[in-house]
Amino acid sequence: MSVLARSVGNAFRNKVRTAAVVAVLAVAIGLALAMLVANQAVGAKVQELNASVGTVLTVNPAGGQGFEGGGEPLTAEQAATAAAVPNVSAVVGTQSLRLRNATEAAAQAAAGTAGGPGGGQGGPGGQSSATLTTSLTAAVDAGTLGGRNQAANGTTGTAGTTPPARSLPITATGIGAEVDTTGKALAITEGTGLGDYTAESTSALLGTTLAEKNSLTVGSTFTINDQAYTVAGLFDAGTAFGNNAVYVTLPTAQTLAGLPGELSSMIVTVDSLENVASTKTALEGALGPDNADVTQGQNLETALGSLGSVKNISLIAFIAALGTAGLIILLIMVMLVRERRREIGVLKAIGAPNRTIGLQFVLEALVLAALGSAAGAAIASFASGGIASALISTNSTSTTAAPTTGRGAAMAGAAGGAGLPGGGAGFPGGQGGPFGGAAQLVTSVTASASPGVIAAGIGAVFGVAIIGALVPALLTARIRPIEVLRGE
Amino acid sequence: MIEVKNLVRTFNSGDRTIKPVNDVSFELEQGTLASIVGKSGSGKSTLLSLLGALDKPTSGDVVVNGVSLAGMPDAKLTEYRRRDIGFVFQQFNLIPNLSAVDNVMLPMEFAGIRKAVRLQRAKDLLVQVQLDPEKHDRRTNRLSGGEQQRVAIARALANEPQLILADEPTGNLDEQTGDHIIELLSSLSRNHNTTILVVTHDRALANKTDRRFRLQQGKLTEEPASRPVVAASA
Ligand SMILES: Nc1ncnc2c1ncn2[C@@H]1O[C@H](COP(=O)(O)OP(=O)(O)OP(=O)(O)O)[C@@H](O)[C@H]1O
Ligand SMILES: [Mg+2]
Repeated sequence: MSVLARSVGNAFRNKVRTAAVVAVLAVAIGLALAMLVANQAVGAKVQELNASVGTVLTVNPAGGQGFEGGGEPLTAEQAATAAAVPNVSAVVGTQSLRLRNATEAAAQAAAGTAGGPGGGQGGPGGQSSATLTTSLTAAVDAGTLGGRNQAANGTTGTAGTTPPARSLPITATGIGAEVDTTGKALAITEGTGLGDYTAESTSALLGTTLAEKNSLTVGSTFTINDQAYTVAGLFDAGTAFGNNAVYVTLPTAQTLAGLPGELSSMIVTVDSLENVASTKTALEGALGPDNADVTQGQNLETALGSLGSVKNISLIAFIAALGTAGLIILLIMVMLVRERRREIGVLKAIGAPNRTIGLQFVLEALVLAALGSAAGAAIASFASGGIASALISTNSTSTTAAPTTGRGAAMAGAAGGAGLPGGGAGFPGGQGGPFGGAAQLVTSVTASASPGVIAAGIGAVFGVAIIGALVPALLTARIRPIEVLRGE
Repeated sequence: MIEVKNLVRTFNSGDRTIKPVNDVSFELEQGTLASIVGKSGSGKSTLLSLLGALDKPTSGDVVVNGVSLAGMPDAKLTEYRRRDIGFVFQQFNLIPNLSAVDNVMLPMEFAGIRKAVRLQRAKDLLVQVQLDPEKHDRRTNRLSGGEQQRVAIARALANEPQLILADEPTGNLDEQTGDHIIELLSSLSRNHNTTILVVTHDRALANKTDRRFRLQQGKLTEEPASRPVVAASA
């Protein structure tokens, strides 16, 4: 009979106790593993979010955002200044345009109810109204929110009359690179990009829903201010609002707006996440706080923050569960070894070297830990998905409050120019825009049990089991045999 | 050859000190069969465990073939117990959930003997101590006291030690089986030059040994040989 056979035999010496030990171990190990898996899943998602958008800063004219607020417009020179700031890896200028359906605009003007300056919906103050006509029809219905906003913005008091149905404007943005207004690469689902974004072109990119609403596909044409544009590609921004948009090259938009060299915002990419805060300060200094507002993707910060707290909770729970598993194994092994002190004394008395005694008890511990881990891994694979989604749904309950605030900020943007970055969400009818996307990301986090994660957790458990068996066994083996044989 | 020099072992029980082994000295030539008698509680087991390196003396020394046990490191003492000593415990001290054969094989496993060899030798030894072959594979906690005692004796012989220390090896045996065990031990001393020290209450057994000692109040005295050696009477 070998040491191994003896150890395995000993592990099953008392079957009821072995079953109880394995069951307790399995629960503790299962919980620890489930937490580790949840932690890993959230961690991966945080990294993904950081990598994609965490390093983007948005620069708006001071006191202005999109078409709202006041101040001086940004210029190409300021873009060059921003690009020269250390750690800035890219600066993309944008020029926003507001497109109105030509027919509807004419009808509304005729009805005399939309009396804003320039016949459009230019906000009070802000950048000169770059409202242009188009053959496109908006893909988003005005609804209650839109109606309210439009009334607040444009109507000159026709109290008592029922407001007519209004259509929403369409966002057209001139971009200096193939990115959206939050700096993320555009997800082009059909066709191609615009090629050179620094040259004028009659190609355009359309959001999927906008193209659908107007029955346009790649190669179709539409007009802006009676000039024909060809649809080069379709993109999916992930939100209904984001897809009600058109992208053209930056010079095209500047020409259409009649504002050559002017930018409505700049999207600044910082080389690494650690440098974002310092670069933000440096940018503010370089551009002058009177000229430009530099903002970070607050929506994403919020999302990251809440994901981070989930990560922390799951990490703490993992450590607690692993600690509990470790403590249980430790105590069980110490008890098992203690119970068999006399046996250790006998082995020692008939000439067993300490390493043989240590090995025997370590192997016995490993058998128990292996059984516990196997059962625990089974529990974890059933429980981890549930635990991860439970953690994340708890979290999204707390963040659902945020979009409300976001919407409030979007409205406040009409007066103060604060609001969410990228201008997009500041539009009437906005629904928290990018924030909806972030929330979607949060809920899409799903735990998957990676072999490495499981191995790390089980490895830790085995380590504790080995220590819990080895230390008391060796301590006992060091005592002179006669004392151990005589008992307590 | 074993030399015992001024061996003392004291215990503190409560406020008083007891000295079951108080300045004991003697020598045994290799191949001697010797016995120790003495009243219960006189310190016989205590002396034996000092000789077997299961306990450490308060003072004094045991020298085996010129090597002193005092100051020997733990690993060396373990090796001494494994290679040179066969110890038969008064309480047997078998591993209860292992079979008789497995118990006898343990010391050979620690000595690194191949499995097939140790299995064969374990079975031979169990036959020699007259354990019913159908009980060889039985767990020792399901054997009678006398059967366990014989398994314990077989285990002590496993590594062919040069010194066998047996604490009451016939205490649980009937007269016939006891006689057989005495025969076995005396043949080992005669034929294998094994030194054997037996603790016993059995006068008949003691009378068959080459040298007889008596332990009394911590002191060891030797009784003169009343009869010639066992070999002559057998
Ligand atoms: N660890 C100890 N602590 C205190 N006293 C002890 C200890 N071990 C033994 N003694 C005492 O030492 C004395 C000798 O004990 P020992 O076991 O050597 O007797 P023994 O001669 O073998 O007796 P028996 O014939 O009954 O087996 C006894 O009085 C016993 O109570
Ligand atoms: Mg005794």
